Amino acid sequence: MSNMVRKASVFEILNHWSLAVSFFILTVSGFGFLYHIEGVGSIFGGFNQMKTIHNWAGVVFSVSLFFTLFSYIVEALSISGDDIAWIFKGGGYFSKKTVVPPQGKLNTGQKLYYLTVLIAGIAITATGLVIWLRPEMADIRKWILLSHLVHNISFVFMVIAIPLHIYLATLANPGTVRIMFYGTVPVEWARKRHPKWVQKIGA
Amino acid sequence: MTRKALLISPEACIGCRGCQIACKEWNQLPATKTINKGTVENPPDLNANLYNKIRYVELPSEANMVRWLFVSQRCMHCEDAGCMKICPAPGALYKTKEGAVAFNKDKCIGCKLCAAGCPFNVPRFDEKDKISKCHLCSDRITEGLSPACAKTCPTGAIQYGDRDGIISDSKKPGYEKLYGQADLGGLGVLYAFKDAPKLYGLDEKPAIPESIVFWHNVLKPLAYIGLGGAVAASLLHYVAFGPKKDEEVKKDE
Repeated sequence: MSNMVRKASVFEILNHWSLAVSFFILTVSGFGFLYHIEGVGSIFGGFNQMKTIHNWAGVVFSVSLFFTLFSYIVEALSISGDDIAWIFKGGGYFSKKTVVPPQGKLNTGQKLYYLTVLIAGIAITATGLVIWLRPEMADIRKWILLSHLVHNISFVFMVIAIPLHIYLATLANPGTVRIMFYGTVPVEWARKRHPKWVQKIGA
Repeated sequence: MTRKALLISPEACIGCRGCQIACKEWNQLPATKTINKGTVENPPDLNANLYNKIRYVELPSEANMVRWLFVSQRCMHCEDAGCMKICPAPGALYKTKEGAVAFNKDKCIGCKLCAAGCPFNVPRFDEKDKISKCHLCSDRITEGLSPACAKTCPTGAIQYGDRDGIISDSKKPGYEKLYGQADLGGLGVLYAFKDAPKLYGLDEKPAIPESIVFWHNVLKPLAYIGLGGAVAASLLHYVAFGPKKDEEVKKDE
């Protein structure tokens, strides 16, 4: 296809898959632990093995999350008046007539989503490590209780944010999900949805 | 099956530690090597091979220069057990029909969260990080025997029986209120204290940590509802507003 523009590098695509797969494993096993679901336990070969897989999937997830910083953090933190206006217009998702303000490489929703997952991801990783490694400390019980609480609060944020992310990147915005496979999008598509980015790269 | 319980009477305890030994014998637990710290209290704390320990509390006063309290310290077999609440592995901790909180090392995943959930700092862990604690001799009581500690106690400081019967029998002058009668849904180990529980090294009002209660009552369902809600909201949006098709995206000219 002609007139394509690259939105994600090969590394970004692979890193995103690593995040997606590890997140899926973590969430399924997480629900298994949370609700004592024996069926989930047996998929993982018992709860003992599920714990090991959960912990190491967490390592994969956190390393991948770290690498996303190089891809998205600068963009996610560059907030302008257009972003505020985007929020007030609901991103154009609640009326076909809405004209949303021009967006950069990430739209406002994507920026907010990234920051949510980043913060929740850092919290869930740090607290997961405390529960897993149980550092020798005098008041370790308080730290475990706090970590257990924060781990579960972050989990709630994650299980709400990620399904919405999957919906918005597939059904809600046709043509988006190909980025996850090819990294490229048609210039026309990009011009409509990310005009400021297209302008910047001069495509 | 009626709920069983132990009644501990520190005033009757002579600190012989027969219960510690009987417990080790029945559960085949090796001795712990310790060093002499100038107290009879030994080992200094519960460990993976010590399910039951006598705590020695010295309380010298003007009136009684040699007041010495002996308290059996172990799993309390709570009705509403914090360890079971927080445990992520089904079957690792379970209630026996007698009301004992027993454990299955094969099912235990060694996460040690139960130690954070226990209001009495009881769970200990073996060399494989598996839980280790008093299980009220669940293998004995299921056969109608009494736990090894109660069986061996020479003074009746540890008594075993139906929980209701123990409570009514113990109501004697000076012991109107049993420790653990109502706390945590009622403990499976009751104490006939003469003084404030604090003196015996126990909390006045033991409770499951609030964060665990909040997690159990709010966060757990919220994870389920949140995931379902996010999926439902997505589908609802798809039906109500439909996708943002390329040709429909309006450009701000």
